Amino acid sequence: MAASPPVPHRYPNTMAAGDVDPSLPGNGDPISEEEALRRLRLTDDPSAQYYASWWLGRNRSRHPDAVPLLQEALRQRRPRDPGAGVEENAVARNAARALGKLGLPAQAAIPDLLATLEDEDHGLREAAARALGDLRAEAAVEPLRRRLASGPSVAGAQQPGTPRLQEPCEALLEALGDIGVAEPPVLAVIEPFVAHERPLIRSAACRALLQLTQERRWGDQLVQLLQHQQLQVRRAALMDLGAAGWREALEPIASTLAEDSLKLIALRGLVEHHPAMPEASAAPDQQTVAVLDAMDALL
Amino acid sequence: MIALVEAVQRADSALGLLQATQALAAAAHPGGASCLVEVLGFNNPGAAVAAVDGLIAIGEPAVDTILTNIDGYNYGARAWAVRALAGIGDVRGFEVLEDALGNDIGPSVRRAAARGLGQLKLDRLAPSQRCATAERCLQALVEGCRDGEWVVRYAVVVGLESLAPALHPELLEGPAAQQRLHEALIGLWRNPAEEAPVVQLRAALALQRLGVSHG
Repeated sequence: MAASPPVPHRYPNTMAAGDVDPSLPGNGDPISEEEALRRLRLTDDPSAQYYASWWLGRNRSRHPDAVPLLQEALRQRRPRDPGAGVEENAVARNAARALGKLGLPAQAAIPDLLATLEDEDHGLREAAARALGDLRAEAAVEPLRRRLASGPSVAGAQQPGTPRLQEPCEALLEALGDIGVAEPPVLAVIEPFVAHERPLIRSAACRALLQLTQERRWGDQLVQLLQHQQLQVRRAALMDLGAAGWREALEPIASTLAEDSLKLIALRGLVEHHPAMPEASAAPDQQTVAVLDAMDALL
Repeated sequence: MIALVEAVQRADSALGLLQATQALAAAAHPGGASCLVEVLGFNNPGAAVAAVDGLIAIGEPAVDTILTNIDGYNYGARAWAVRALAGIGDVRGFEVLEDALGNDIGPSVRRAAARGLGQLKLDRLAPSQRCATAERCLQALVEGCRDGEWVVRYAVVVGLESLAPALHPELLEGPAAQQRLHEALIGLWRNPAEEAPVVQLRAALALQRLGVSHG
């Protein structure tokens, strides 16, 4: 069965009505698992490998060859050379993302992802951070923390000539929240980003702190961001409240000016990521039913 | 009414179109239906949402206008039309909803169709037709249980729950259809491959509300 990620990252299906899956790269032909593994072995055909890595993640492949082949694809990265194209790095990015979706069997790839987190390529560090967050890799907490330790004015400063920050702060912050190690040195590094000049970074920092502490003040700040004038910020705050399972945001989420598809993902998060998530086999409690009723109203 | 329609036609900015559409939608007057249907094709999601709300508020008098135009719609407009038909619940929209749940590429369209198939106003039909249509709704929703998107499977649960009264054994020739509906819900609830626990929880709630013991 095809799937969306258990902890949603930003901007999944954002088109209101014609929502074709935007994560689908080109030539999205239906293929078998064997075919995906065959394509991933084609080291001289990066575009075949690119699609194959995406396919294996999307379909949660359990094949014993999947993780080792993705690890190799991750090692195919090379120093960034703006003149020469970066096909291998595109493959490595997709391989990292796929590993993040494969759960337990992908634990073996955590050392490779940690090495990728030190790569010079910003996009690769970003993909590696997200994958480490998806895999709840506690070994990543210290390197993630170190990358953010210089704070909003250094790690969070804009790179000259690009819209990027020095570090992929959103991904690093979100990964720390997803991994869930709530130790004081971790919280201390995240907190200054709550005052970052970019609302998307503030949202990611509040999300992580809310996940780690369940303190109301971070939830309140995210709820305020649901009123932000930019749709992009409101969407991010929706996803972040969902990822943190902050039930108090039920009403504000339902009335946010954004696509119903995104509100439904956020509300799913309130059900599934709440600390007291009921057993799916049992009848839901009253508080959960209130979230489900709000979801029904958005269909 | 004419002034409201003209305001929509004269709008020369996205915001202007949105506001004029909202005003026309709020009137909920059948005379506004063709204009609202036109707005569905303007590639302005805010205005389209308002137009869908307006068409649902007009209700049954809008259905003919929607159905006469639907074949000429572009993809986006068709998707919005499906949502309007799902919200209105008129049985003349059945085939469009059935087709949308089975074949549309947009999860948000399949989701609206699944919900809509559970809330068609079947009691307006003659008894024989009512049974046949209810069973076709059930068939479409049972097939929708295998949809690849969690949100569509969620909407299928909601659709099945609201379809249940129409499949009461006293209305049909025996309990077979009702049993199929319960089995579909139990299947969604127990599905070991389900990656969205919220779908299973919603199925458990539906079974509880329908008084089906499933423990």
